[in-house]
Amino acid sequence: MSGQTKRMRARTAESIKSWLIMLPGLILMTFFVWEPLFESVRMSLYKTRNVELVRFIGLDNFISVTGKDDFAQALTNTFSYTFWSLLLGFALPVVLAILIGETRRSKGFFRTAVYLPNMLPGLAVIILWSAFFSGEKSGVLNILLGHLGFAPQSYLTRAEWVIPIIILIATWKGAGATALIYMAGMASVSPELYEAAAIDGATVWQRIIHILLPAIRKLAGTLLILQIISVFQIMYEPMVLTKGGPDNASLSLMQLMWQYAFGGSMNYGKASAVAVIVTAILLVMTAIYSYFNRRESDWD
Amino acid sequence: MSKVQRTGVIRDYDMHSASVRIGYGFIFLCCCLMVVLAVFPLIWVVLAGFKDLKEFVSSTSLFPQSFSLEPFITTWNQLGIAKNYLNSLLFVAGSVVCALIFNGLLGYGIGILKPKGHKMVKRLVMLSLLMPTTISIVPLFMNIQNLGLGNSFTPLWLSYGANAMYVVLFVQFFESLPSSIIEAGRIDGASQLQTFFRIVLPLSKPICAVIAIFAVNAAWSDFLLPYLVLRGGNLQTVMVRLFVFSTEQTVNADTMMRSVVFSMIPPIILFFIFQKQLTENAVSVGIKG
Repeated sequence: MSGQTKRMRARTAESIKSWLIMLPGLILMTFFVWEPLFESVRMSLYKTRNVELVRFIGLDNFISVTGKDDFAQALTNTFSYTFWSLLLGFALPVVLAILIGETRRSKGFFRTAVYLPNMLPGLAVIILWSAFFSGEKSGVLNILLGHLGFAPQSYLTRAEWVIPIIILIATWKGAGATALIYMAGMASVSPELYEAAAIDGATVWQRIIHILLPAIRKLAGTLLILQIISVFQIMYEPMVLTKGGPDNASLSLMQLMWQYAFGGSMNYGKASAVAVIVTAILLVMTAIYSYFNRRESDWD
Repeated sequence: MSKVQRTGVIRDYDMHSASVRIGYGFIFLCCCLMVVLAVFPLIWVVLAGFKDLKEFVSSTSLFPQSFSLEPFITTWNQLGIAKNYLNSLLFVAGSVVCALIFNGLLGYGIGILKPKGHKMVKRLVMLSLLMPTTISIVPLFMNIQNLGLGNSFTPLWLSYGANAMYVVLFVQFFESLPSSIIEAGRIDGASQLQTFFRIVLPLSKPICAVIAIFAVNAAWSDFLLPYLVLRGGNLQTVMVRLFVFSTEQTVNADTMMRSVVFSMIPPIILFFIFQKQLTENAVSVGIKG
């Protein structure tokens, strides 16, 4: 009996020591990740002055934020970013992965080269490309198109072009890294499957459609939702490239949040209201995804 | 020809068919084109750095008139980039240390010690993977202000000790370690902390290396929270400086391009040294997006 209590006590002591080891990490996670999420919700319900919460005002921040024209515009733009990102950026990594996967020479070199843009600081990439799309005659795209006989164009001042251009830049940076993820998924397909299909007379094209693509379907689903979550938070790209212009045509929701908080007015309550709205939309999307994902695994 | 079985859809005997060979040639050509697309902007920005302002805004040639390093040296000195480089190095070094120690210890608790209730922590960490980080930047910044930690590296370093992705990577690695080795250490009477530093860490060099490389790159490129915390002070990093240049437009376009070049040099060096680790582990780290 006493031996048992002693062992139990030892185990409790062990358990406490384990928690003590985890404690610093837990405190940091709480301070940097978990608490700010809840604080966001709380702050969105308060009138704020600088870093002080002045008084509880219910949903007033939400009403005032959503009532402005720039909110509707930012919401539409954010969905537009998502749409363009899926159109330009979703299938491309799959294509890159298939292309690189089929090369029989220099595969390592190709893998390395497409990954390079992902290593560069995102801010530097945006500034670099701003010179590329510059409307001056010295803008790189204008120089290149000039050789083909086109007159210089102004790209970033055209409302219908800014969002696709920003997505194009983001795709340039990220597609190679995503392609490597697909390549890892494709490597799990046993080559014998292709051999067997080939013996049955399947062409290369048919093997891609009926063996390779189904093998990465689930991975593609995961990457799709991650891509949506990440594009939905697009912020510094339009901030740096176009300042949300021309005439708010590239203003994103997160950028609107930044403007409320740090754009001079220091309205942290309203900024938090925008953040909460974005979080809510993302949660709904994630829920929809996990619902379909579960349905799918039930089918398997 | 190597004996290793090829992984691709196109099999060796397919290559006897002329149409597949043409298709393969096309694939190879596409890959080469991809390399050009990936690298061309970098080469261009370096070339642009050699141009002075007049040439930068008026020249319609991609190549500079002269390849003198003088513009780079002038910009470096004029803007005092050396100081920002030093700040960046300090910021990166502290961030990597925090990333390894705090996430490593938390991962050790979840993956090896597994005290009662560790599953709840694990679930919370997994959930945080999906939660965007910039979304709570406003309350986080307020907390930092309220604690009087503005204009200091401390909160920025510590922020790298709270990375859900790194914790998950540690947990996954620790769970794959043979438990017999760890138990052997425990029987020798080593405390939990001693076990971590004497047995677990030496076995975990590969994952530590991967997390360190990715943390170096992440910290170097980081600028949103660093901008808020460090703006106006004398601890500004290279990226914070670049962000200030780009939002306040205080420098000329040609100086801007040279600053971009300066900001890209360390990541590119890192890339060429560790390209193998980076491309092989892009999978696990990249899932975060």
